[in-house]
Amino acid sequence: MELLRPSSLEELDGGLLLHGGTEVVPLLREGLLETERLVDVRGVVPRGVDGAVIGAGTTLAELEVEPAIPDALREACRLAASPQLRSMGSLGGNLLQATRCWYWRLGYDCRLHGGDRCHARDGEHREHAIFANEFCASAHPSDVAAALVALGARVRTNQRELAVEELYRLPDEGNRSTTTLESGELLLEIELPPAGASVYLKAMDRKRWAFPQVGVAVARHEDGSPRIALAGVAPIPWRIEGVDDLDAATPLPRTEWKVPLARALVRRALAALA
Amino acid sequence: MSALRLTVNGGEHVLDVPVGTSLAQILRDELGLTGTKIACNEGHCGACTVQIDGVPQLSCITLAHAVEGEVTTIEGLREHPLVEAFVRADAVQCGYCTPGQVVSAAALVAANPQPTREEIRHAMAGNICRCGTYPKIEEAILSWQG
Repeated sequence: MELLRPSSLEELDGGLLLHGGTEVVPLLREGLLETERLVDVRGVVPRGVDGAVIGAGTTLAELEVEPAIPDALREACRLAASPQLRSMGSLGGNLLQATRCWYWRLGYDCRLHGGDRCHARDGEHREHAIFANEFCASAHPSDVAAALVALGARVRTNQRELAVEELYRLPDEGNRSTTTLESGELLLEIELPPAGASVYLKAMDRKRWAFPQVGVAVARHEDGSPRIALAGVAPIPWRIEGVDDLDAATPLPRTEWKVPLARALVRRALAALA
Repeated sequence: MSALRLTVNGGEHVLDVPVGTSLAQILRDELGLTGTKIACNEGHCGACTVQIDGVPQLSCITLAHAVEGEVTTIEGLREHPLVEAFVRADAVQCGYCTPGQVVSAAALVAANPQPTREEIRHAMAGNICRCGTYPKIEEAILSWQG
């Protein structure tokens, strides 16, 4: 294996892209990712906050103490992972982290790995999805993604510009990916639209350093309407219009508990912004 | 194999190791700095915590060839008053997580010499102690200046 460290985007030419390494290194070690060429992109991805634009290479630790960003994003960063991981992990990397589904992580031949069944649906799934869980029951773990979707953020890559929401797709028979990222595509910057107050609330199985059981981000937009996005409830960050949308959840037998939890957090978040 | 230049506890090292080797492996197996512990080896537990330019990071999931900056391990903090504070507070049971705890705590007090309990809990959350010595670790950090 070789490690390349390009200093300009023009030098990018294939390989497995690596930033903080908090996700890529363990997945390489487990054999869930394979490459002969690692590309350390820290030299080419912008870092830092400039007005409404955040470099995708900014670490979560930098953002959790950044007064110039919306509350929901700052809080999502503060409640994510552990201090060491927040110091290593980048905003862009956080958005692209893989599922915590234990079957996927253990290399089971599940649908995300190209197989023909979701082992979680019939097996252990207490941490899994309550929406869109028919094909794959994994739950998206990114607090930050939910916050950025609620905030209506956009992302600029080395190939295009799109809403953060459009970065994600539900996996299906023909395409098992949970992102719309193309090969060689690299997140460069996140742009935040003007927004009013925002909040991020997170339920965890312990008080610190845990993935979201349910995370709820709500941002009030210019027209006064709240925009709600959830983490930990579907294979991708999940938008709902209001608390009543939780009535349409399709929980698995052992994820039913997440529905009232999500309902309570959404109510609490909306009340916090009222 | 690929050349690697590392600064650890103020000393320069030039090595030739395969890309993919973790910083923790280099510290322990190549440099003999076995104070840095490997427990989970996947970035969850904090036992392998070292400072890179003063910031606590996880050496077990840090690729040695990607290190930018100076590494400080527990051996480099041998004279830090926190070590004595941990002993005074009896903040050790099995001791396996302790080097990582001290490395994280040293970075905390460098930035914030008199942290509150809440600040300690936030900054130390990435160092897990399965013996449950957390109250004594808090006490050690609260009283580190003697």
